[in-house]
Amino acid sequence: MLDRGEAGDPGAFLSALARSCPKRLKAMAEAMLPRLGAVEVVQSRTGLVMLPFRDTVRGKDFFLGEVLVAEAHIRASGIEGYGMVTGRDLERAMAMAVLDAGRALGLSEVVAFAAREAAVQAEEDTALLRRVEATRVEMETF
Amino acid sequence: MAYVATRGGERAIEQAERLYREALGPITPERVAELRLALPLLVDRVMGEASLYDPDLAALALAQAGGDLYEAVLLLRAWRTTQPRLTIAEPVRQAEILTHRRISAAFKDIPGGQILGPTLDYAHRILATEVMEGETFTPAPVTPAATPAPARQPSLADWQRANGLVADPPRSEVAPDDIPDVTREPLLFPASRAHSLQSLARADTGGLLALGYSAMRGYGNAHPTVNELRLGEAEVMVRHPSGALFSAGRVRVSQAEVTSKGKSGLLDLGFCATFGWNEVKVIAGATLDLNASGAAKGSPVEEEFVLYHTEPVEASGFCIHFKLPHYVTFQSSLDALRGAKTAEKDEVPA
Repeated sequence: MLDRGEAGDPGAFLSALARSCPKRLKAMAEAMLPRLGAVEVVQSRTGLVMLPFRDTVRGKDFFLGEVLVAEAHIRASGIEGYGMVTGRDLERAMAMAVLDAGRALGLSEVVAFAAREAAVQAEEDTALLRRVEATRVEMETF
Repeated sequence: MAYVATRGGERAIEQAERLYREALGPITPERVAELRLALPLLVDRVMGEASLYDPDLAALALAQAGGDLYEAVLLLRAWRTTQPRLTIAEPVRQAEILTHRRISAAFKDIPGGQILGPTLDYAHRILATEVMEGETFTPAPVTPAATPAPARQPSLADWQRANGLVADPPRSEVAPDDIPDVTREPLLFPASRAHSLQSLARADTGGLLALGYSAMRGYGNAHPTVNELRLGEAEVMVRHPSGALFSAGRVRVSQAEVTSKGKSGLLDLGFCATFGWNEVKVIAGATLDLNASGAAKGSPVEEEFVLYHTEPVEASGFCIHFKLPHYVTFQSSLDALRGAKTAEKDEVPA
């Protein structure tokens, strides 16, 4: 639902992977793994991402706090794959990195998977926002 | 203040901890998952005060602390120090938040309209005692609207600025690495705007409420009206090594602006935001922000007073440290007291 660019946009692709169903993401990564060849794990860790927030009164950025994330960075067949997801599921981040590498290698199934996940996510957002819209109120004063 | 190292009682100390933990029983993944599901607003509160967003770990901290919020916040803050800081996300902008709730008490017709979202604001507060008789309390389902609400709602403050109702201070871009951070720098006064708002974001909800309420009751300079209250989900936008920006996931956030008529002929605004959905905290925090300017030294709304006394780990830690052995301090007080009594007795004529 949120604009993340066109389907071919790397940002939109990565966002769709990061939010995709963990079970389906891991299954897809398992399926793609043999096609990557030997995989070198450069990084697999949890860590913190500082999240700034923009003050709406004076326009200053400040830190709202830190978000726990899992990060993975791999090399395979001369290309790199990267994954970062909120939470502490290292397998999920690794699966994302595998699919990111798969996209760089031109595996069309990976792009199709991300597109399917993005469609599911858009449907979820629409369902949520229809429920939110049900609470719209027109205030009257008298 | 004098402290003394004490020895002895190791067995008693160990058994005391066992007694505490035994009463809580085994902590299982199922218990943690149930806590996260059943108490999302409490989990939100802990994440906000701990300044660490991870609902699973917040639920675990609550389970391990038996619901003691200060212990839970301390556990999370301590755990956080074991983690490396990987990067800084793009700043969350109000108008980009996936909005679940957005209301204004000051303006009836706001751009984008008023969305009540999930709230008990207009609900009867009735304890469902039938549950104790064996019945299940099943909430009525929402009837979705035919069309979805817009994912994003415009900023009311921007509309007010465009209409000359609030000040429009010049804005200077600050590189993410240069944003002041109270977890790495001391909080000095007058505090930078970034330190002040970060401290409010991680402040104790009860502390902000107490001081904010005192301002609302007249111990402050300005009476607040909610300009805008927003609950939503913010995307955590990070960079791929290639430079592409993407969302690593969403986090729940709350933010409030409160307003009052300023002396300059414009509306003054106060602001507060935090992790999780916690309306009381952000309204009280924004009220304190609104009142901070020009507050008298030592008043309950003065910035230094507010920020020092609402830091949950420092405040609770200082409070509970008084139950730890202070024998030397107290013995010294007793000695002084006895000395004074003896001197008094000696001075009394026979």
